[in-house]
Amino acid sequence: MNRLGFAFGMAFGFFIDAARMSDPGIIHKALLFQSAYMFLMMGSAVAVAMPLLLFLKRKSWTTPLGGPLSIKPAKIERKHIYGGMVFGTGWAVACTCPAPALTMLGSGGVLGLFVVAGLFFGLRLRDVVTERSQERAVAPARSPEPSHLPAGAVADL
Amino acid sequence: MIHLLPYQIPWFVSGPAIGLLVVGLYALVNRPLGASGAYVQTIEFFRGGVVAEPWRVWYLAGILAGGLAAALLRGGPITGFAYGPLGHALPMILLVPVLFGAGTLMGYGARWMGGCTSGHGICGTSALSPASIAATSTFFGTAIVVSVALDLVTGGAL
Repeated sequence: MNRLGFAFGMAFGFFIDAARMSDPGIIHKALLFQSAYMFLMMGSAVAVAMPLLLFLKRKSWTTPLGGPLSIKPAKIERKHIYGGMVFGTGWAVACTCPAPALTMLGSGGVLGLFVVAGLFFGLRLRDVVTERSQERAVAPARSPEPSHLPAGAVADL
Repeated sequence: MIHLLPYQIPWFVSGPAIGLLVVGLYALVNRPLGASGAYVQTIEFFRGGVVAEPWRVWYLAGILAGGLAAALLRGGPITGFAYGPLGHALPMILLVPVLFGAGTLMGYGARWMGGCTSGHGICGTSALSPASIAATSTFFGTAIVVSVALDLVTGGAL
């Protein structure tokens, strides 16, 4: 399983770098509509994957390593929009994203290291923020101190 | 130096190849080919926590190795401190924190929406998931608006 993961990662990284998505200059051109390459690449990836996934789904395919194929469409939530806006802003500035930042580093682009470090930090930061807000949400229930606050008042102002 | 790869392979090779990798991973492992999820597993690995999917740590290492392999076949890694137009516009002392900050925004946003360009943009969209299509439209739209705004504000430098 680990070897398979490495092989898939290596193939994916290879094609991303061979497509020069490791070069922020090329992604920059794409986002300014000066180059169609990135859109054609992503579009053709989806165009190839979509019918094949539909076919596997229709055949009720059983995967050899992960049980019956379960591709469940997810409902749109606020997090997809808010998260997308934050992600898109970072993408426009760095002109790279999580996988190409790694291939940048792997192919010798030293500055990719700082983007990768930021990615690790940001991913962890979001988890910490989520954990804190959950703690705050359950805290009053866990510590039923006699409160002089009226029922329903927000305790942590 | 050997040059087995051109500078940039055509999109009609790279795109379908990535599409087939997405299908292959779903067909074998029942999992999406997402990069940000692999980062999350790697964070757990280094924190000594429970790594639910250890193979994704290897997957992340593979992406790095794949970049190196392509660079070698192209005629040697291009080691350097170049960074597109942003590298020309900013001195190194500003470039490094800006790149870290942009990486942080991407990490934060990817964790928030539950995926990135690969997970939502290619896998989820191929699976016709409304959430992924909404997330992808949002980050593409935002990235284009921010890029055009930066280009205008900097007088074409970015």
